[in-house]
Amino acid sequence: MTQPAGISLRSVCKTYLGRGKTVEALKDMNLECPPGSFTALIGPSGCGKSTAMRIALGLESHDSGEVRVAGKTSAHATVRGITGVAFQDAALLPWRSVTKNIALPLEVLDRNPLDYKNEIRDLIKLVGLEGYENALPGELSGGMRQRVAIARALITQPKVLLMDEPFGALDQIRRRQMNVELQRIWSETKSTALLVTHGIDEAVFLADFVVIMHANPGRVVEVVEVPFARPRSPDLFADPLFHELTDRIAKVLHAI
Amino acid sequence: MRFSNILSSSVALRNFFILIALWEVVGRMDWVARGALPGLSEILVRFWIDRGDYPGHIWATAQSAGLGFLIGNVLAVAAGIAFVLSPTLMRLARGVNIAIFALPPIAIAPILVLTLSGMAPRVTLAALGVYFVTMSATVIGLSQYDTRSADVVRAYGGSNWKVLKLVRLRGAVPDILSGLRIAAPNAVLGAILAEFGGGGRLGLGTYLLGSLGRGDPARLWGIGLVATAMAGLSYAVFAVISSHVLGSTRSVTLNTAITDTGSDDRRSGPVRLLIFVGTLLMPFVLWWAFIRATGVPDLIAKTPYGVFEYLFLADSSAIARGKLLAALGQTIPIAGVGMVAGLCFAFLLAILSRMFPGFIRAFMPVALVTQAMPLVALTPLLVLILGRGYSVTLWITISVTFFPAFVLLVQGIQRVPQSVLDLPRAYGASAWKEMRMVSIPAALPYLFASTRLTVPRALLGVMIAEWLATGTGLGNLLNQSRGYLDFGMIWTVAAVSVLLSVAFYYLVLAVERRTLKHFGMQNVE
Repeated sequence: MTQPAGISLRSVCKTYLGRGKTVEALKDMNLECPPGSFTALIGPSGCGKSTAMRIALGLESHDSGEVRVAGKTSAHATVRGITGVAFQDAALLPWRSVTKNIALPLEVLDRNPLDYKNEIRDLIKLVGLEGYENALPGELSGGMRQRVAIARALITQPKVLLMDEPFGALDQIRRRQMNVELQRIWSETKSTALLVTHGIDEAVFLADFVVIMHANPGRVVEVVEVPFARPRSPDLFADPLFHELTDRIAKVLHAI
Repeated sequence: MRFSNILSSSVALRNFFILIALWEVVGRMDWVARGALPGLSEILVRFWIDRGDYPGHIWATAQSAGLGFLIGNVLAVAAGIAFVLSPTLMRLARGVNIAIFALPPIAIAPILVLTLSGMAPRVTLAALGVYFVTMSATVIGLSQYDTRSADVVRAYGGSNWKVLKLVRLRGAVPDILSGLRIAAPNAVLGAILAEFGGGGRLGLGTYLLGSLGRGDPARLWGIGLVATAMAGLSYAVFAVISSHVLGSTRSVTLNTAITDTGSDDRRSGPVRLLIFVGTLLMPFVLWWAFIRATGVPDLIAKTPYGVFEYLFLADSSAIARGKLLAALGQTIPIAGVGMVAGLCFAFLLAILSRMFPGFIRAFMPVALVTQAMPLVALTPLLVLILGRGYSVTLWITISVTFFPAFVLLVQGIQRVPQSVLDLPRAYGASAWKEMRMVSIPAALPYLFASTRLTVPRALLGVMIAEWLATGTGLGNLLNQSRGYLDFGMIWTVAAVSVLLSVAFYYLVLAVERRTLKHFGMQNVE
């Protein structure tokens, strides 16, 4: 059986116990990311979008339902390096150089970073950080740090790329630049991407599908297909059709 | 920024030279207690005459302090890691940790000399002096880590051990280094105190003790200054190292996630009770095991039961109890009075210094130097100046309490953000009102923290003074018992002074928790 490198969450439930009352973080959450697609997960704070992603990463357990990442359980997928991950604020280790931060997943997976010299060099080129191989995170700008985090997510050549608000700490201008970069990187690596974000325009610009979630209990309320052809240029941000779509999504988001 | 740094350090330098000049004049004119404070030049001349003696003594002290520092810190870091991995273990070891923190080194120096031989007592006391500081620094450093980085490691299936290795350990290095910095002078102090306890021909402590009867102030000052320089140098070495490491460790962005603590409170009642009992028993079990391991005969080395027997079951118990209670009656009041006076003085001065920032700049270097000065070296000098009455005990207690409290309080007050200060000012509050509303409440947690910190120091100060000078109280009882080979009493005094110190510590902690809860504040570690 060939294993499709998609992500699928079926009827996933997750409740938290906190301060005497239970919080339904996810109730019957369904999410299908076809292999090679780009999906954006959007919703208000507390709608469980980060929880869904942490479950897909195996960082948190779920109470019921089925989770499959590239046809495997999330824990299996992570230890084989099938998933790559990028979090908000880059989360780089401040005492490691760019190269060594990129190599971090290899060390966690008990692989020898020396075997990946070429891959690391190619990735640094891919994210446009040539000349900064030995720089420490403190010497880089916010956008550059985020590129390191993307490169780090790609070092295991993952079939699935999970990103939790990777550009949340960047300003609007830098963020748009990174959106364009991410689209290029993703199309070159041909992976399945899942992006958790607050930004509607970021979601529409990058994704094939925008999954809208609501809170209390956390659930999917609508999946919007984005029709724009690829590669998408930055001009798309000014396109009236683009705004029509973002307005529609905003309406669904605010209809609580 | 740069310019003002240079300016303030030049002011400090100027004050330093003024102080030296003043010292020289006062010393030359024999103004203080008929020559008890010689001029700096006289001390240096004496130092030159004694120059043949020093290397051997310095080397001996440095050796035992260094070895103790190494052993103590290796154990402390290992313990810190173990505690972070297992909160239950940390709870179990709490009793031992507090006992080690609170024990007055002088009280256990004699029992170490009784049970161990050669350099071992000095090394042990130096190691005990560094253990608590480094252990707590390690625990704090390992507990405060970037949870997002840890998530990255976990997202690739990394175990707790991998997170510790790749994220937390390296992140804790600055904290551990600042722990080492504070621990280093403690090692010197511990080694010198053990030298007081006996054994060995060389060492600054031995040299000091031997010179005490010669009535040569210049030599005592020389030894004191050398000991201070050793302690200060060891502090400075780690200060330099940690300032080099710090830059590359701070997280570049702010971690908004809060590390969850106290998740181990979900245990059932009986389990918690069991852990509590274990915590209480652990120090005594270790005490017993230590004696069994050294194999010293029962006559000399007393187990916990041996001490109990000595105090309550033996024929001479009543006499022993009487002596002990009399000594406690002398030691406790003076330690209490000295501590309260020192703390009040520090609190007052710290609050006032908010109004006169120039004062801090001039006074802080002096305060820091006296903190690095080993207490043992200070005591003979104060005895020279103040004589052998109660006043010397009181002054030593005040000085050992005052300086650390002052430094901590000033740091606490300086942490108040400018915006918080600006608010009352913007509404036209007077300086006094501003202090009452902001500075004093802000300093309160630090006052408690410094009280906890200084409890063992106050007891240590009193006991050293009693041992060396006044011939009263617990310190004297300990010294006398050494002479009479009253082994039961030596162990009793050691145990009682540790228990006393721990009890004081918990008393302060209880008051602190209650008060700060009332004000809705957090306590300072």
